[in-house]
Amino acid sequence: MVEDSVLLLRAQAGEMAAFEQLVERHQHKVFAMTARMLRSDDDAAEVVQEAFLAAYKKLPEFRGESAFGSWVYRIAANYALMRLRHRKVTAQVEEPEGGPEFNERGSLIDEVADWSPNAEGQTLDAELRNAIDEASAKLPEEYRQVFLLRDVEGLSYEEIATATGDSVPAIKSRLHRARLSLRAAIDRFYADRAS
Amino acid sequence: MSATSTCQDCIDLLLDYVDGELPADTKAKLDEHFHGCQPCEDFLATYQATSTLCRRSLAKKMPDSVAAKLHDFLRHEISKDRDGER
Repeated sequence: MVEDSVLLLRAQAGEMAAFEQLVERHQHKVFAMTARMLRSDDDAAEVVQEAFLAAYKKLPEFRGESAFGSWVYRIAANYALMRLRHRKVTAQVEEPEGGPEFNERGSLIDEVADWSPNAEGQTLDAELRNAIDEASAKLPEEYRQVFLLRDVEGLSYEEIATATGDSVPAIKSRLHRARLSLRAAIDRFYADRAS
Repeated sequence: MSATSTCQDCIDLLLDYVDGELPADTKAKLDEHFHGCQPCEDFLATYQATSTLCRRSLAKKMPDSVAAKLHDFLRHEISKDRDGER
C-alpha cells in the first residue's frame, strides 16, 4: 500500500486521485469522531465535508510535521467544537454523576469488583454498549468532549487545550471525573447483571 | 501527601498515576498502597478498562451514502476552486 506521505506529496502536486485516496483512508475515523462529538450523523457529515475541504485548501501549507490523518483529525475536531459552541445557549456548570465514596479515614466504602478482563474480550455485549452510550450521553457536555477527544480519539492534552481553549489541568480534572462517572456506570451494569 | 496514602489519595491521583506523570516519591507511595489494598488495585484495573471499553463501544462507521456524498462534494468544490484559479 502506498504510504500517506507519498499520497500527500502527490496531492500537494495537484493530483486529485491521491487526495481522494487520503480522504478514503481517513474519512471513517474523522466521521466517527465528529458524530460522537456532535451526537448527530447529519451534522457530522457536514463537518467532515468542511474539514476535508479545509485540509485540501491548506495542503500547500502542510509541511508534514504530523501525519496527514492526525492533521485532518484536528481540523475536524476544531470544526466540531466550533459547531458545539454555536449550539450552546447558556453555559451550564454541571458535575458528572457517579464516583467512589470514602469513609472518614479516606478508605473506599463499597466493595470493588474487577470486571477489567471483559475490556479485552472479542465481542462487546450489546447491552453493555447501550449502558456506555447512555452513560456517555449523560455526561455534562464539557466533560464528555474531553473524554471523547482524549480516551476515544487519542488526542494529547495539549491538542485538546489548543482546540478547546481550556488549560491542561482543567482538561485533566474533567477527564478524571468523566472516567470515574463512566466507570461507575459500567460497574452498575455488571453488578445488575450479577444480581 | 502524608507518609501513608489512603484510598482517596490514590483515586484522586489516578489519572497522573496512569499517565506516569507523578513524582517518584508519590508514585512509590501509591504503588505501596495498591499492593496492599485489593479494592484499590481492582479500582485501578477497572479505571483503565473504562477507557478501553468506551473506545470499543463508541466505535462508529461512516455510512456508505455519507461517504459517497463527501466525495461528490469534494470533487465539486475542488473543481470550482481550480476553475477560479484559471
